[in-house]
Amino acid sequence: MSGNGTTGGPGSRIFDLIVPKRSFFSWLDSLRGRFSLVGPVTEDGQTEFRELGSSHEMDMEYQSTMLSPGKVYLYKPREDLFRFSLGKSVEVREPETDQEQRVIIGLHACDTNAVRYLDLTFLGSFRDPQYAARRKNTVIISLNCARSGENCFCASAGAGPFLEGNDGYDMLLTDLGEDYLVELKSGRALELFPVDGGSPAGEDAFRFKQEKEQAVVHSFRKKLDMDGLNGLLSKRPDHPVWRATAEDRCLSCTNCVMVCPTCFCYDVIDEISMDLKSVRRYRQWDACQDAHFAEVHGGNFRARRTARLRQFTTHKLDQTHQYGVFGTVGCGRGITWCPTGIDITDIAKEVQKSEVGSER
Amino acid sequence: MRYATSRIEESQEHAPGSFNPLKPMKAVLTDVRDENSDVKTYRLKVGDGFSRSAAAGQFNMLGYPGIGEAPISFSGIGEDGEIEHTIRAVGMATRFIERMRKGSEMLIRGPYGRGWPLGAAKGKDLLLVAGGVGLAPIRPVIRQIMKNRADFGEVTLLIGSRNDEGLIFTNEYSAWQKAMSVEITVDELVTKKPWNYRVGLITALLNRVKMKAENAVAFICGPELMMRFICRALLLKGAAAGSLSVSLERRMRCGIAQCGHCQHVGFFVCRDGPVFPYKQVEGLFDGLL
Repeated sequence: MSGNGTTGGPGSRIFDLIVPKRSFFSWLDSLRGRFSLVGPVTEDGQTEFRELGSSHEMDMEYQSTMLSPGKVYLYKPREDLFRFSLGKSVEVREPETDQEQRVIIGLHACDTNAVRYLDLTFLGSFRDPQYAARRKNTVIISLNCARSGENCFCASAGAGPFLEGNDGYDMLLTDLGEDYLVELKSGRALELFPVDGGSPAGEDAFRFKQEKEQAVVHSFRKKLDMDGLNGLLSKRPDHPVWRATAEDRCLSCTNCVMVCPTCFCYDVIDEISMDLKSVRRYRQWDACQDAHFAEVHGGNFRARRTARLRQFTTHKLDQTHQYGVFGTVGCGRGITWCPTGIDITDIAKEVQKSEVGSER
Repeated sequence: MRYATSRIEESQEHAPGSFNPLKPMKAVLTDVRDENSDVKTYRLKVGDGFSRSAAAGQFNMLGYPGIGEAPISFSGIGEDGEIEHTIRAVGMATRFIERMRKGSEMLIRGPYGRGWPLGAAKGKDLLLVAGGVGLAPIRPVIRQIMKNRADFGEVTLLIGSRNDEGLIFTNEYSAWQKAMSVEITVDELVTKKPWNYRVGLITALLNRVKMKAENAVAFICGPELMMRFICRALLLKGAAAGSLSVSLERRMRCGIAQCGHCQHVGFFVCRDGPVFPYKQVEGLFDGLL
């Protein structure tokens, strides 16, 4: 991840290439053996990121997936932490870090930004060895979006539909019809990708990219004015929208958290062997929507459904002092997969609406 | 807003490759003392480096394989590589710990979090307010004051407890009284033992404090509702909002700002606390302060 600002603008030459799609995919296939390839595959109308036998299986026009690639392949749903053997003295063993070399192809801007967000948790104050190893061993090839989905609001969140910045990923693709505009963003990408595999991208390619981005930006149906949102939601913890939404519709099913690409919470669980001689300690995704999540002896800081929905929503659309960015990347998954159609952008708009009213 | 990653690159370079922050280390229980019917003080041998890096108000994740881990504040920090934890047996981990005997092994990770701002209290009057087992995280502060008494002005310690049975560290009060004024109150008396202190809520003790609130620094630890009323009373008496510190309790699984359980309106209580300036957490939702 050594993106250092050497690429990205019109005028830079060998790092930005026009590559025929055919050549790009055959280069991808040539990586198999050294890397396992993971990409978007559509089956029965649903796309998911999975290991590829060949690049032909990929659907590079996909809209969205239920789970984000970052949370499936970097921050796993369940992960072994330690094995303890219990004897006279306790022995602790750590699992080896995951050394599988992997290329993930086709992450949209939202999901790439979600990986950057997960970095803040797992490579921040304390570095998680397993996540760090996977991050190091994973090549990320991002893909700019060709259209917006029904629940997408990444343009409002500043996290898409085209990916900005040069850090945290390796390559960026923009669909130019017959070709891809391939932007190489890391030293690793420069090593892996044959520079003579395409022609240098000129200013017209970047002009076309910009026009395309504008077109996609204008196609968004879901919008949220996020200026001034930070601080506003947490200033109105008693707004009726929290209670009305939570009590009428929230099932505490935790779907929103499970499909959220930036939700990082986990539980730690000890599993004792039947012979009582060893213990497996693992972690698995946990959710603030679970009733016991904030429970301590003698009380529960979020016993009410209302409090739990407010925590999730403000963590996405407020509380930016935590990491300096919003917790949402605007992927819309929490809205898509909520069984009762709760939409955090609607909640925010309700609060904004009454704020305007109260100022009059 | 951009998702910048410069901080990450930095931490990747400086982080030691093999260090796993969730990996516990072994500690041997060298002493166990009863404080009352469900609270005990455990003395643990952890090594010099560990105890020297610890600060009053910080905590450890304490546990055993198969039982899990619980966040427990230091109640004592020795210079001899030994530390103390004073624990009420109420949950799965703490009830297991309660059954451990001298010589047993425990697993420990830490020290974590931000402790009491003792540096900022130097040269000032100091008010310590503790409710119930909330006295445990205050005890290392008391010890430091006793060791460096000249560093502080007037020091007053207010101790509150639900009843006389629930008091802890009772055999240390007389030593503490030589270094500071100690006021004790209980909500009700339940034993027939003679009682030389007061009965009533801890907030009533504030009227007996002689120091001027505007010149004092206060460290407060106890149930959130108690801390709320103490802080509000002190503010009314003229205390500066920035001079009050409180210690929060939340569910924690990791202690290292990852598992998310302790999140309190954007703060990780484990990393940004457990000791907070009162003004930072005053009035936040999902809390009682």
